[in-house]
Amino acid sequence: MHIFVQACILGLLTGGVYALMASGLALAFGVMRVINVAQGALIILGAYLSYTLYTDLGLDPFVGLIVVTPLMFLLGVALQLVFLRLLRDEEREELSLLVTWAIALGIEGVLSLAYQTSYRSTITGYADKSWHMLGYHISVARSYAFIASFVVLGLLFAILRFTKLGRGIRATVQNPTAARLLGVDTRMISALGFGLSVATAAAAGAVYGIVFPFNPGSHYDLISRLLTIIVLGGLGSLGGAVVAALFMGVTESVFAAEFSPVWSSFTFFVVLIVMLVFRPEGLFGARVRGAI
Amino acid sequence: MAKRMIALFAVVTAAAVLLAAIAGTASSRRTASPIKIGVSLSQSGDFSDPGKAVKRGYELWAAYVNAHGGILGRQVQLKIVDDASNPNQAVTNYQTLITRDHVDLVFGPFSSLLTGPSATIANRYHYAFLEPAGGGPKVFALKLPNLFFVQPAPVVKCGDTFTAYLKTLPAGARPKTASYASLDDPFASPIADAMQAQLSKMGIKTVYKTIYPAETTDLTPIVEKAIAPKPDLIVGGTQSVDAYSQVKALIQAGYNPKFLFYANGANSPVEFPSKVGKGNVNGIFSCSDWTPTSPSTGNKVFVSQYIKRYGGTPFKIDNNSAEAWAVGQLLQTVAAKTGSIDNQKIITTLHKGVWPTIEGNLSWDAYGAPSGNDLLVEWVNGRLLPVFPANFALAKPTSPKPPWGG
Repeated sequence: MHIFVQACILGLLTGGVYALMASGLALAFGVMRVINVAQGALIILGAYLSYTLYTDLGLDPFVGLIVVTPLMFLLGVALQLVFLRLLRDEEREELSLLVTWAIALGIEGVLSLAYQTSYRSTITGYADKSWHMLGYHISVARSYAFIASFVVLGLLFAILRFTKLGRGIRATVQNPTAARLLGVDTRMISALGFGLSVATAAAAGAVYGIVFPFNPGSHYDLISRLLTIIVLGGLGSLGGAVVAALFMGVTESVFAAEFSPVWSSFTFFVVLIVMLVFRPEGLFGARVRGAI
Repeated sequence: MAKRMIALFAVVTAAAVLLAAIAGTASSRRTASPIKIGVSLSQSGDFSDPGKAVKRGYELWAAYVNAHGGILGRQVQLKIVDDASNPNQAVTNYQTLITRDHVDLVFGPFSSLLTGPSATIANRYHYAFLEPAGGGPKVFALKLPNLFFVQPAPVVKCGDTFTAYLKTLPAGARPKTASYASLDDPFASPIADAMQAQLSKMGIKTVYKTIYPAETTDLTPIVEKAIAPKPDLIVGGTQSVDAYSQVKALIQAGYNPKFLFYANGANSPVEFPSKVGKGNVNGIFSCSDWTPTSPSTGNKVFVSQYIKRYGGTPFKIDNNSAEAWAVGQLLQTVAAKTGSIDNQKIITTLHKGVWPTIEGNLSWDAYGAPSGNDLLVEWVNGRLLPVFPANFALAKPTSPKPPWGG
C-alpha cells in the first residue's frame, strides 16, 4: 500500500509536468488545426535555453522564464508566419505534420551543433530535495514543476477566456470564416495563437530540464508521449490534455512500481486503443470544432 | 664501325643508367609512401560525442607516431569519414575505403552497433579489424577471425572486479541483500545478470530485480520499488542517462545503500558529476578499462601527449581517446614485430601471445574477445579512481558508501 500511495504521488506530480508540455500541442491543434510535432523539440530548446541561463548567468530556471518565454513566443510567431501560414486550409492538418517535423529536425540539428549530443541536466539547489511527510517523500523540484504547470495552464485559460486575443482565438477555433466576417484578423490570431502555444514550451522546457536529463534527441520520445496524451484527452482540448496527462502519470508510475516497467507504457497504450475504439474523439474532445 | 659501336654502347649505357636512376627514384618513392589507414567514425548523430573522442585518440597517435619516424619508416595517413552514427553508412564507408581508396589498413568505429557490420565487411576483404569500442556480445557472436577488441575485457565482464572485491571483505562487511535494476540493452542488463549470478553464489540475496525499457524516462517509481526492501547493495545495469536518473531518484527518496554499482554512466569522469551533482558521486562504484594513472605500457606518453595537444587534466581524458590510441599502439607493435603491415600477417600474429598497450596486456580468443578484466573504479573525494585490484589502485575502496552530498 505504501508503494502504491507513493507511486500515485509521483505519478500526479509527473502528470502535472506532462500536462504543461501537452497544453501547447492542444492549443496549436485547437486554434489552427496544426499537429505540431515540433512541440517536443521546442520543449527541448526551452530546456537548453533555461540550462544556459542557469549555468552561465546563474538565473534560476523559473526566473529565467521571464527571458525565455517571450523569446519562444516570438519564435512561435515567426515559425507560423514563415512555414505554416502558407499551408492551405484543406490540407493544413496533413501538411502541418510534415512541416513541423522538418522544424523539429532543424531544431535538433542546431542543438546538436551548439551543445553536442551528450546529456545535460539543470541541477538547481532544490533539484534533488524532497519533503518527507507521513513516511512519504515529495520531490521539491517536481512540486515546483507541478505548481508552475498549473500556473501556466491557469494563465493560458485566463488569456483564452477573458482577453480580446482569447476571444479572437476562440472565435477562430469555432468558425474562422464567421470570425473573419466579424472583423477578426484570423491570420494574426493564428500567428499569435501559435506563438502562445510555443511559449508554453519555455515553461515546459525549464521544468523538463530540472526533472529529466535531456539531449537534442530527447524530443522523439517526448512527442510520442505528448501526442498520446492529447489524443486521449481529445485533440484540441486543454482540459482533456490535463486529465489525460495526470492519468498517464499515475498509470505509468503505479504499474512501474507495482508490476513491471515494461507494462507501464503498454497499459497506457491499451487504454488509448480502447478509447480510440469506443470514443475516438477522446475524453473531452468535441465532435465539432471549438473544443478549446 | 668501332667508333659507332662505342657511341652506341655509350648511349645504351647512359640510357640504362638513366632508367635505373628513374626506377630507383620511383622505388624509393614507393617505400616512402604513407601507410593509409581508413576509419569510419561518428562525427554526427547519437554517437558524435564519443566518436569525436575516438577521433582525438586516433589523430593524436598518428601525429605522435609520425613525429617519431612513422611505422617501418613510413608516415601514417588517416582517412577518417563520418558515418552519422548509422551502421549502414559505416558499412558503406568501409567498403569505399577498402575498394575505392585502397587504404592499407582499417581501424574500428565507435560502438558495438557499428563495429559488428563494419568488421564483417573488413573480414570479407581480409583486412584486420583492430577496434576500440565494440565489446558487446553480438560483436563476438559474429565469430570474425579478423576482429580484435582493444580493451582488457568484453562488456559483460564489467562487474567481475566488483564481485572479486566483495569477496575480499570480511563476511560481516559484505552486503546481505541486493536489488538489480537494468536497462533492456545488450550492453547493460547482461552485466547485471552476470553479477547477480556471481553474488547469489556468494550468498547475497536478491530482493528485487527488474528490467526497464529504453523509453523509460522516469525511473523514480522503479527505484522506489527497488529500495522498498532496503537492500544493502544496488546494482544498476545502466548505460548513461538511466544511471543519472537512478541516482537522482535515490537522492530524492533519501535512500543511501551501503554499496552502489553502476555498469556505465558513473564511469565518465566528466559527465557523471555534471549530471548528478559533484557532491553526490562519492562512494559509487563502476568499471573502467583505462585510467590515466595506470602503469600500463606507454600510458605516461599518451597522457602527456594528450594534455599537450588538447589541454585539460589527466582525469578529464575521455576513455574513448585512450582506447583509440591503444589501437594505433597495437598496430605499431605488431608491425614492428612482423616487419610488415600485411593484414593477414597482422591477424595471424595477434592471435598469439600477449600484447602490451595502454589498455593493459591484451590477448584474445579466436574471435577477438579479450581475456582480461576491467578495473574497479570508485568516486573518492570527487575523483574517479581505480580502487581494485590493489596493484592498479590509487585509493582504498570505501564502504559503506558515504551519505549523499558528502
